[in-house]
Amino acid sequence: MPKPTKGARLGGGPAHERLLLANMAGQLFTYKSIKTTETKAKRLRPVAERLVTFAKRGDLHSRRRVLSILRNKETTHVLFSEVAPLVELREGGYTRITKLGFRKGDNASMVQIELVLEPVTPKTKKSSSKAAAAAPASTEALLEEPAEELTTSDEAIIEATTEAPDADNAAETTEADAEAAFSDEAPADDAAADEAKK
Amino acid sequence: MAVPKRKQSRANTHARRSQWKATPATLVKTIEGGKTVYSLPHRAKVVEDSAGTALYMEYKGRKVADI
Repeated sequence: MPKPTKGARLGGGPAHERLLLANMAGQLFTYKSIKTTETKAKRLRPVAERLVTFAKRGDLHSRRRVLSILRNKETTHVLFSEVAPLVELREGGYTRITKLGFRKGDNASMVQIELVLEPVTPKTKKSSSKAAAAAPASTEALLEEPAEELTTSDEAIIEATTEAPDADNAAETTEADAEAAFSDEAPADDAAADEAKK
Repeated sequence: MAVPKRKQSRANTHARRSQWKATPATLVKTIEGGKTVYSLPHRAKVVEDSAGTALYMEYKGRKVADI
């Protein structure tokens, strides 16, 4: 639910603002990107995104609710048939505002507001890149720390128990020692390693 | 309608106007191709060709709008 706007309305009054925003939303859905002032774009964003949410639901009731706002069957059809499928997987954030410059006459900040119609990839991409970034570091850390621990604990074991019948047993004990020693860092590293495995 | 009783002196006028001050714009410093560039933050930039003709607006490596 968008936060109610405080202060003066755009245009001449509340009704004028509703009409103005409805017209702008219609133009946005028709042309996919429009240039306007920053103030208008920021007011338009919640209106337009709410309409896109209705369009994603796609049933007759939501279509009628959108139609009651847009007052234009063609624009509503464009929204439901063209825009909605493209943002099917997107969870909000259907519009993007980019600041362009300042208008000559009144120095108003002009922006471009556009529908974000690109396919959704950033979440997995980000997490994978993060995991990829974290994984080498964690693996290096894991590799380095146990290695150091191994060398030191090997010496310690060799010094302590010169018998050391099997190298495997020694390795196991050293690993256990290492895990025990690095139990503090273990949860984070394990989590990172789990993510990397996934 | 309220009407001024006396003429305002030049000294008073100038004293008031001396308080009109411009605030410096907050700019971000970026280095593009070895040149330090100061620009407004979060604002699309105009891309020009070698002759200096404006081509299009760009923001974060993405073509945003025509001019």
